[in-house]
Amino acid sequence: MRKILSVIKREYIQIVRTKGFIIGTVLGPVFMLALIVVPIIVSSASVEKKETIGVVDLTNEIFMELDKKLDHKDYRLKDGFRRYVLEKYEPSPGVEEVRNELRESVLKKEISAYIYIPEDVLEGGARESAVKDAVPEEAKAEYVSEHTTDFEELRALNRALNNVVIEKRLKKEGLDPQKVAQYIKRVELQPIKITKKGEEKDTAGTFMISYFLALILYMAILIYGQVIMRGVIEEKSSRVVEVVLSSLKPFQLMMGKILGIGAVGLTQFSIWTLFGIGASVYSTSFIPAGADFAMPSIPAHVFIYFVVFFILGYFLFGTLYAAIGSMVNSEKEAQQLVMPVTMFLIVPIMLMIFIIRAPDSPLAVFLSMIPFFTPILMFLRITVLLPPFAQIGASIVILTLTILLMVWLVAKIYRVGILMYGKRPKFVEVVRWIRYK
Amino acid sequence: MNALEIEGISKSFGDFYAVKKLSFEIPAGTIYGLLGPNGAGKTTTIRMVMNIIIPDEGSIKVLNQRMDEEMKERVGYLPEDRGLYPKMKVGELLLFLAEIKGLKGSEARKEIDFWLERFDLSDWKSKKVEELSRGMQQKLQFIVTVIHQPELIILDEPFSGLDPVNTKLLKDVMLEMKEKGRTIVFSTHRMEQVEMICDNICLINKAERVLEGNLSQIKKQYGKNTVILDYDGEANFIKNFPEIEKIDDYGKFMEIKLKEKSSPQDLLPKLVGKISINKYEVKEPTLNAIFIEKVGGKEVKDEEDIISH
Repeated sequence: MRKILSVIKREYIQIVRTKGFIIGTVLGPVFMLALIVVPIIVSSASVEKKETIGVVDLTNEIFMELDKKLDHKDYRLKDGFRRYVLEKYEPSPGVEEVRNELRESVLKKEISAYIYIPEDVLEGGARESAVKDAVPEEAKAEYVSEHTTDFEELRALNRALNNVVIEKRLKKEGLDPQKVAQYIKRVELQPIKITKKGEEKDTAGTFMISYFLALILYMAILIYGQVIMRGVIEEKSSRVVEVVLSSLKPFQLMMGKILGIGAVGLTQFSIWTLFGIGASVYSTSFIPAGADFAMPSIPAHVFIYFVVFFILGYFLFGTLYAAIGSMVNSEKEAQQLVMPVTMFLIVPIMLMIFIIRAPDSPLAVFLSMIPFFTPILMFLRITVLLPPFAQIGASIVILTLTILLMVWLVAKIYRVGILMYGKRPKFVEVVRWIRYK
Repeated sequence: MNALEIEGISKSFGDFYAVKKLSFEIPAGTIYGLLGPNGAGKTTTIRMVMNIIIPDEGSIKVLNQRMDEEMKERVGYLPEDRGLYPKMKVGELLLFLAEIKGLKGSEARKEIDFWLERFDLSDWKSKKVEELSRGMQQKLQFIVTVIHQPELIILDEPFSGLDPVNTKLLKDVMLEMKEKGRTIVFSTHRMEQVEMICDNICLINKAERVLEGNLSQIKKQYGKNTVILDYDGEANFIKNFPEIEKIDDYGKFMEIKLKEKSSPQDLLPKLVGKISINKYEVKEPTLNAIFIEKVGGKEVKDEEDIISH
C-alpha cells in the first residue's frame, strides 16, 4: 500500500505541475465563461449610430405614421437621439426615376438606405390570384441598402412598418387596433416541474445544465482515460517500466497510476467548482439587467452523483485505456484500438436527447443499466428526473461489479503487455495473456 | 549460504522454450557470470528471478526465501532495457525509485546525495533526466540499481553500450560491492569481462545449461594444451599439422588448441625458423574459446540481444 501511495504521489505531482494542467485548469472555465459572456457583451456594445433613410411611399398614408413610430423611445439611440431619420421622396416624375436617384444616393453614402413601399401593402397583398386556391402572395416592401445583414436593424424597421400597416388595415375595416392586439395576445405554456419536495418553475435551465454536465462528464472520462493511456505508453517506450517492476507488482503500478491521475481529475473539478461558485456570486452583477437569463443552480444531489459517476466511469474506462496502453508501442498504434472504447462513450452522447425527452421510458432505463453507458446515461436521468433509488443503486452495483471484473482482466493483460515490445498483439494473443499464470 | 538458488526452472512462450530445466546456485559474496549467446535465455532467467515473468515449473530462492515484494527491496536490478522517466528531475526520480524500494524519505535523501557525489552528478540533481547526456544517464541508472544497498545485485548486460570510463566505474563499483559482502550476478556475452571479475559462471545455450561452476576449475578441466602464439610472417602451414585440433587465427596472434595426446613442447620446434615468434605461451584455453566450442562454433556477435520475451 505504501508503494501504491508512492506511485500515486509521483503521478499526481508530475501531472499537476505540467503547463498543460495549469493552462487547462485556468483556461477551461475562462473559455466556458467566455462562451456565455462574450456574446452578451459584444451584442450590447454593437455600434449604433444615426441613420438617414429615404422613403418612397406609394400609398401616401404610411410615411407619417412610420415617422411617428420611429420617434418612439424604443427606436431611439441610447443617448435619446433618434436613430432612424426618415426623408420622404415623392414619386415624381416617375417611380423608377426616383428609385434610380435614391440608389445613387445610397451608393454615394448620402443616405444609408431607402425603403420602398408599394401601393398594395394596405390591401394585404391578397388580391385575387388567377390560380384558384393559390396562397395569396405576401405584401412586400423593400429595404434597399449596401448593407443588408444587420438583422437587428432590419427587425426593428420591419416591426415598425408592420405595426403601422396592420393598424391601417384594421382601421379600414373599422376595427380598433388596440382591442385586436389584446385579443390575439399569445398564451404561454409554462413548464412546472414537480418533485416530492414541491413545485418549481422549470426553465430551459434544467435541460441546458443536464446536457452541459453530461458533456463535461464525457470529456473528463475521455481526457483522463487518455492521460492514463499515454502514461502507460510513456513508461513502456522509455523502458522505465522494468526498473519500476523490480520494486513493485504490475498491479500496484497500474492502480497507482489510475488513482493518481484520477486524483488530478478531482483536483481540477474542485478548482472549477470553487471558480463556479465564485462566478455565480459575481455574475449577478455581470449579466445585464432584464436579460432573460438566470444563473441556473445545480442541486446538491446532482453534484454528488456527478462525482460518483465520474469516479466510477473513470475507473471503468481508465482500466480499458491502461490495457490499450500496455498493448501498443506508440500513441499512433493506440489510435486504432482506442476507437471501440471511445465508441462506448460516444453512443450515450448520441442518446442524450432521447434520454432527456423520455428519461423513464423502459428503453432509457435499460440503456442506463448497461455498465459502459451507466456513467453518462444514469447521471443524465438523475439530472432530468430523479429515478427511483433502486434503479440508481442497481446501476451502481452493476457498474462496480463490471469495474472489478475489468480490473481483474486488465491487470492480467497489463502485466504481460507492458513488457512486450514489437508487433502489436492480435486478439487471440491477448486472450492467451489473460490465461497465463 | 547461497544468495540465489535456481532449481529446474522452465519457461516457454507457445512452442518456444526460452529456458529449459535450468539449475544453478550462487554462493553469497561472489560475482557470478551468466553467459550465453544472443537469445540463449539469459534475460528470461533474470526476469524470472525478479518475479517479472513467472516460471512454468521449478523453484527460485532468493536469499533463502521466495521472491516477493519485501524481498525485492533487498535486490538491486539493472534491466537489459535501460530506462528512466525522462521528464522527471534527477533528484525526484531517485527519491521515487528509492521510496518504492522501501527507503524512508530522510534515509533516501542521504543516499541520493552520497551517490550523486560519488558519480559526480551533484550539479544535475535538479535537472530533468532528458537533459543528461547518455553517459550520465548510464551512471544514473547504476545509482538506481544500488541506492537501497541491496544484498543481491542482478545486472542484465551491464557493460553493453558503456564507454571505457563508465565501464571502469561500473567494474569498480561491482568489486566494491563484493568487498562489502554483496552478491552480484550479471549476464553478458563479452568473455574478457567475465574472465576478469567472475568467480563462477553458468553458460546457457538454446535455453539449456551447458557449463556451470567455478571459473578457474572449469579452465583447468580443459587442461593446459592451448598455445597462444604471437608472431609475424606466413603461418598458414600450421593448420596442416596432425597434432592441431583447432586454430583461431587473428593474423598476428593465434590461439591453438592441441589434440589430447600432443604436447606443446613438440610443436615449438616445428615453427622455429619458419615464422618470427614474438611469444609462445602455454596456457588454459580462454573463456572465449570454451564458449565458442560449447556453443557450437558459432560466431559470438557483439550485439545487443534482440529477444523480447
